[in-house]
Amino acid sequence: MVLLVVMLCFQSGIAQTVVVPADKKAKASPLLFNDAAVKDGENIYNKNCVSCHGNPTKANYQKSMSPIPGDPAEEKFQKNSDGELFYKIGVGNAVMPMFKNILSEEERWKLVGYIRSFNKSYKQPPLEVVVVNLLSKTVKLAISYNEKSHQIAITAKGKIKNDTVPLKGSEIVLYAKRYFGRLQIETVKQTNQQGTVLFAFPKDLPGDKVGNIELIAKINDELFGEVSVSKTLKIGIPTDKPSLTEKRAIWNVNAKAPIWILLTYTIGVLVVLSFLIYIIFSIIKIKKVSKKNN
Amino acid sequence: MSKKESFDKMTTDILRSVRLTNLSFKIWMGFITVSFLICIYAYTIQLREGLGVAGIRDYVSWGMYISNFVFFVATSLIGMLISAVLGLSGIKWAAPLARIAEIIALAFAMVAGLVIVSDMGRPERLAYVFIYGRIQSPILWDVTVVTTYVAISALLLYLPLIPDLKICYDRLENIPKLQRNIYKWLSLDWSGSPEQIKIVRRSVRILLILIIPVAMGIHTVTSWLFAATTRTGWDSTIFGPYFVSGAFVSGCAAVIIAMFVYRKTYHLDKYITEFHFDKMGRLLVLVSLVYLYFNLNEYLVPGYKMKKFDHFHLMELFSGRFALLFWGTQLLGLVIPLILLLFKKIRRPLPMLVIAIFVLAGAWLKRLLIVVPTMENPYLPIQNVPLNFKFYTPTLIETAITLASIFLVLIIITVLSKVVPIIPIQEIELDEHESESV
Ligand code: HEC
Repeated sequence: MVLLVVMLCFQSGIAQTVVVPADKKAKASPLLFNDAAVKDGENIYNKNCVSCHGNPTKANYQKSMSPIPGDPAEEKFQKNSDGELFYKIGVGNAVMPMFKNILSEEERWKLVGYIRSFNKSYKQPPLEVVVVNLLSKTVKLAISYNEKSHQIAITAKGKIKNDTVPLKGSEIVLYAKRYFGRLQIETVKQTNQQGTVLFAFPKDLPGDKVGNIELIAKINDELFGEVSVSKTLKIGIPTDKPSLTEKRAIWNVNAKAPIWILLTYTIGVLVVLSFLIYIIFSIIKIKKVSKKNN
Repeated sequence: MSKKESFDKMTTDILRSVRLTNLSFKIWMGFITVSFLICIYAYTIQLREGLGVAGIRDYVSWGMYISNFVFFVATSLIGMLISAVLGLSGIKWAAPLARIAEIIALAFAMVAGLVIVSDMGRPERLAYVFIYGRIQSPILWDVTVVTTYVAISALLLYLPLIPDLKICYDRLENIPKLQRNIYKWLSLDWSGSPEQIKIVRRSVRILLILIIPVAMGIHTVTSWLFAATTRTGWDSTIFGPYFVSGAFVSGCAAVIIAMFVYRKTYHLDKYITEFHFDKMGRLLVLVSLVYLYFNLNEYLVPGYKMKKFDHFHLMELFSGRFALLFWGTQLLGLVIPLILLLFKKIRRPLPMLVIAIFVLAGAWLKRLLIVVPTMENPYLPIQNVPLNFKFYTPTLIETAITLASIFLVLIIITVLSKVVPIIPIQEIELDEHESESV
């Protein structure tokens, strides 16, 4: 009995449910779930989600996982609000990965659209009136670097008609581009009254040969939507490591195999082969001797 | 009996197997052929459906097939031990067994290559190994040495056979004409002139010397397929000699089984005697002791240190999932046979047959124990996969395909030993002449 209770506690310890804040729950999609969006959503789903969740309606998700991922066409998924689905895809849970740094908002909304396409009774609520895409083009993000304080300052300005206004209280994420993917710098921060936000930049981040690092800033504003800007700055430590495939090495291509392997292999094969050829000639010779004798 | 008469009698005795085809031979041949064909049907399923029909998955991608491959390569090494090592060191008792050993070596080595192909999901891409193979890869070396070993074994079987083929041609008059012509053609019209004898002797000698490094090579390289990685259970510096010594154990067992069967079915009691069994028993004890010694090193040293990752792997073997198989194999397939064979009373044909079967089965399972537990236990945790990816369970189809390779070996051995005298006639005669002239 005690054991059972302990086990139950343990179980629920892993599978904590995500708590979705009320405002996120109520959030509706800014884009229309039309056929094109659903189609895009399907592609994104097949790249990122199918390995765990399987093909919707087929219930072929990973049953050996704990908690089980479930089939997106099921009631368990569909009873979420659009905002909840969007939020849950963004933050993940337990084994479910966090997708907010991997997929853009637009992509995540398309996923929601795709998941909804398996729900016959679902009706998308009317879109909010803000025409996001038109306005978003006029957001300006300025990235600058302060050498003394090692800080990156990002200033966000939006243009509505002819007025340029600082974007206050918008969420900004800063990434540094690495070989594989992006490295987030500090956390998500909000712009101040001037539309500016400061990130402390690490002093020891390796850059390319001359120290260049590509920065990517992403803003997420209620009104202007999601915009990202990139800029390359010479703020990293110059790093010039010879590429691992430059010299002869075990892991390199055939043409760049280590000399000692080439030699050992070739000499070994040639020596054995020459003996074998000698034997073949001996056999031919036996035949010749027979002819002579008979 | 004069010299000539006794030679005649011996030739007749030895050629009896080639001359006469009795019912039990036909039944046996029919049985293995039909079984082989049924198992080949299983392979067509695998070809059509893909490797998924076998129990191998992403993590355990080398299951029964590769274990079987290692076993085959191992068993084929016996040709080198008996013909070359014993032959060159002038150990006379082994001479009548040389051909049996060579036939076993050739059959196992030939099929070993095919076994690898059965582990390929896309066998039509086999040529890519040669086209795109990297010289740094032990797999390429393995392909090279196995092919070479097959070639040398074939030559080593053929060259001493030339005079015997001539005898076959001369003596076997009422066999099918085609078969007789093939004997004639293959015997190169052997005339037995001193010059020819000299050529054969020299060539055989070269081959005997050559086969030692090549045979060591094939099994050492096969062990490097494992040891050249850093995985627990394989990351060992003694894998080469460990494999080679294990190879002699399974090879000796195979030869003992073959000796018993040939002696019984072809009435060769006079040529394969209790004396030979006694000697093979002693040889098996010797190689088993060496193998046991390597086993001690291979398990005791990591078992003493119990490094973090080794710990899990070793405990699976010693007391976990594989414990029964592990201790069963070590005890029934190595330690107990070794102890029993120390007694002279046991070193007689029938008890030795039983022991050899245990040893051979143990040798097969041992290879499975080397391959599978390590693959189930990678350094990076196995994640997000169905349960049957985590633990290897062989399927029926996989078993059938593995059996196909074993039947193919039996077919090759049966056919070869049906068409050639399994005891070298000429060689013995030459030896007798020699001992006379001394
Ligand atoms: C590594 C496996 C994995 C991948 C990849 C994955 N998920 Fe999940 N997902 C899970 C698991 C496991 C759960 C259940 C979590 C729980 O119950 O707390 C889950 C839960 C969810 C939920 C919440 C369902 C509910 O009951 O509220 C949604 C929505 C979701 N996933 C969508 C996605 C989408 C969309 C993708 C692709 C972008 C994706 N998941 C990729 C494993 C995965």
